[in-house]
Amino acid sequence: MLVPYFRVSSLYSLLFFFFWSLLRPYPVFLFTCKQISEGASPYTSAAMHGRVKVKTTAQQEEEKRKEREKKLKVYVAARDACFSKRKDGVFDDEALQLTQQLLSANPDFATLWNYRREILTHLETVKDEDEAQKIYEAELSFLESCLKVNPKSYGSWHHRGWVSARLPRSNWARELSLCDRCLSLDDRNFHCWDYRRMVVKMSSVPVKQELEFTDRLIGSNFSNYSSWHYRSTLLPLLHPGSPEPPPSRCGGDPPHSCSPPSPQTHFHRVCEEQLLKEYELVQNAFFTDPNDQSAWFYYRWLLGRAEREEMISCAYVSREQERVAVTFSRPVNAQSGSLLLVLDGQPQRVEWRSVHPHFKHSPVWISDLPPGTISDIANEHNLTVHWTEKHTHRDCALYTGRSESWCRDTATDLELFRSELSVEKTSVLQSELQSVNQLQELEPLNKWCLLTIILLMRALDPLGYEKETLAHFQTLKEVDSMRSAYYSDLCSKFMIENTILKMEYAEVRVFSISDRNLTTLCHLDQLLLVTHINLSSNQLRRLPPQFAMLQCLEVVEADNNSIENLEGVYHLPKLEEVSLKNNKISTLADLQPLASCPKLRRLDLRGNPVTQTANVESELAELLPSVADLLL
Amino acid sequence: MGTAQLKDVIIKPDAPSSLLLDKHADYIAAYGSKKDDYEYTLSEYLRMSGIYWGLTVMDLMGQLHRMNRQEIVDFIKACQHECGGISASIGHDPHLLYTLSAVQILCLYDSLDAIDVDKVVEYVKGLQQEDGSFAGDKWGEIDTRFSFCAVATLALLGKMDTINVDRAVEFVLSCMNFDGGFGCRPGSESHAGQIYCCTGFLSLTGQLHQLNADLLGWWLCERQLPSGGLNGRPEKLPDVCYSWWVLASLKIIGRIHWIDKAKLQRFILACQDEETGGFADRPGDMVDPFHTLFGVAGLSLLGDEAIKPVNPVLCMPEDVLQRVGLQPDLLS
Repeated sequence: MLVPYFRVSSLYSLLFFFFWSLLRPYPVFLFTCKQISEGASPYTSAAMHGRVKVKTTAQQEEEKRKEREKKLKVYVAARDACFSKRKDGVFDDEALQLTQQLLSANPDFATLWNYRREILTHLETVKDEDEAQKIYEAELSFLESCLKVNPKSYGSWHHRGWVSARLPRSNWARELSLCDRCLSLDDRNFHCWDYRRMVVKMSSVPVKQELEFTDRLIGSNFSNYSSWHYRSTLLPLLHPGSPEPPPSRCGGDPPHSCSPPSPQTHFHRVCEEQLLKEYELVQNAFFTDPNDQSAWFYYRWLLGRAEREEMISCAYVSREQERVAVTFSRPVNAQSGSLLLVLDGQPQRVEWRSVHPHFKHSPVWISDLPPGTISDIANEHNLTVHWTEKHTHRDCALYTGRSESWCRDTATDLELFRSELSVEKTSVLQSELQSVNQLQELEPLNKWCLLTIILLMRALDPLGYEKETLAHFQTLKEVDSMRSAYYSDLCSKFMIENTILKMEYAEVRVFSISDRNLTTLCHLDQLLLVTHINLSSNQLRRLPPQFAMLQCLEVVEADNNSIENLEGVYHLPKLEEVSLKNNKISTLADLQPLASCPKLRRLDLRGNPVTQTANVESELAELLPSVADLLL
Repeated sequence: MGTAQLKDVIIKPDAPSSLLLDKHADYIAAYGSKKDDYEYTLSEYLRMSGIYWGLTVMDLMGQLHRMNRQEIVDFIKACQHECGGISASIGHDPHLLYTLSAVQILCLYDSLDAIDVDKVVEYVKGLQQEDGSFAGDKWGEIDTRFSFCAVATLALLGKMDTINVDRAVEFVLSCMNFDGGFGCRPGSESHAGQIYCCTGFLSLTGQLHQLNADLLGWWLCERQLPSGGLNGRPEKLPDVCYSWWVLASLKIIGRIHWIDKAKLQRFILACQDEETGGFADRPGDMVDPFHTLFGVAGLSLLGDEAIKPVNPVLCMPEDVLQRVGLQPDLLS
């Protein structure tokens, strides 16, 4: 029994079919718009990709031109016929025939898939269930031939999903098998992977089964980033990790009970037992092929941890400034009304502002208390800040005789920048480090090894391995020079982390990191309490807006850098001294932010181009009247 | 099992090494007149975007006046359907992709009054789903590209508050992967094109702080191959259009300096065709307007002073956006 739309029902169709066969031999890749590199631009599933320019003679050009003119005529006739039928509301077999011919060659012609859906929907209303089943199955057959020719057409895959969902008697096993076949030809085809995920969802394929599927793929070929990616989504479902509450402590004062720790999580999305197994799996991959990138990317994820839960990590109060500063574990918008201040049991009507107008979302927020509320040093006060969005809060007690106080989440090196390690995990990571070091000796130019060694050292003992870390970064920059700016910034980040960790053990108010080739500043939200900062002899180009989070700052030393921008030296209420010798400050405008710091009395600008500006002394006297001690 | 071969191209020593702006302008100016060309007709299904690519690159080169403004504006008028959505060409069905392209074109020409703006807004709003995602059209394909198209369209029209922005953000964030990147739908693999759409989306909705900029920046700078060109994801060939998707994303997240600029510039220039003008996906291949725009736009982001500054979020000249009053956030 012939499926209806294969029946040639009119002379027109006969003729069309004849002319269509002329089109057939024309290389299909020319108008299937497929990218070798699968660009998914927001505009199209491709323009033209992978089409080599071939030189031809004038005669060949002329022949080609005639041929294309013919093809164009046929194509336009078919297209116009389609549009005309659709306009007339015709949903017949001939329409299916026409759209089929056009879509076989040009599956990105989305409107035709739409028309086809209209036709099929109409047919469904006039056929019984068995006939409808046949029609849709024929559609699947047609789609399969389309996908064979062009497996990367958004239109084809979407239409197939639409058809599969409408089948009176669905057959998801067949769809899964189609995916298996398609992926065996190209296991990076994201259209197919996405289709597979839909099939898995619709037919409740067990996660374990899909995990085993990735095992097979990873075991049999490289270039399997897609499989590792899929694993990263499956593991947390089958082997979820579990949260652990952190301890907290209050600073600078006799111990008292702090707010109970909020259910904050520093965990990995995958449970430890499974995680340790994964290390082994990945290690096999990169030992077999040290240049297989996907394994190294995946490994970095295994070494990391999930994003921090939102909580108040520090609350600070100053009698002199009559102000409260709050640090969150992630940037928030405290102007949403969810941040409440309670003083001695009384809710306060305060307005919160972020440290710099740039930031609508910020980790640090400030509010001013009504004058006189806490200024008398003879009085004790109890403050609580509530973050109602996440049902978390932090208390801060301001004792008699104390001019300031703070309470912060414990900042031991165990939690601040990396996950706490169990004995078992430590042991596994140590042996990992050993193995990767061995690999690195065999492959001295392999940058993945070097970077991974650094990441392992950070996970195990950031302070203990500092020297080796610096040495490895040096090598990395030589071996992978295209990305040396990335490595410089990453190294800067790690050195800042180490300085913060050392700060915990020593003095929480002094931050000193000079001569460390710093190219960038980060973790500035951790430095709210710092009064003295030394950044001298580095490669910094600016003190960015985030620098304004250092609300307690009294002294800045940043000599011998390449600083040309001081945006972040903004409304720092306690700032008195700034030393910027030998930097790149070139115009008076660059110094504008300093005018917002009311207590600034000493400024060293020696060795900056700006000192050569005409009338610089008088200009600065006007811009910065509070600076009595100016060095040019 | 063998070792992974690093896929890349080799730039020949005689490859173009200087910017041939005049040739590119001539190429684009002539492209519109090829209405009897076979391939031109076959790409009718994306015509609106094709026009946007051509006009934008001409404007970036200061040559917009060479294009036929009235014809294009009339064409757009004829492509707006009753539902408010705009199609790629006459007779084709409306879609978010072409609605955005049309709005972008009308912004270039300061002629938004040519269409029914309220209807466009209604169309876009109607495509938002329960989970915050956007379908491309009434047939329901979901993709983060469409989330970008939706907010970009509304941002240009100043009507972002008509959709549920929080939900839309939630959906896009649910597409964030282990490597910091984004795919089409939740669970989809990271891809530079999708990453561009999602970072652009987060910029327009003021949510860039939700990104892991360091991790994503690393993934993005690893797109650079020895040839200097950029690919779209690991183990793929370089392509000039990724000079846009990857570079713009890096610019948005404040990490464009993680790419070797000189090497990338050399690759982009090598993709020019000295004979015909225009850029191809990689050196020696055939040119087209799509790659021409992204080659030129990439060079603009790299700081080429012969080209107008381009906005990394919307891929439109900065001066046009200044006129519209749109300054999307960028991370520093």
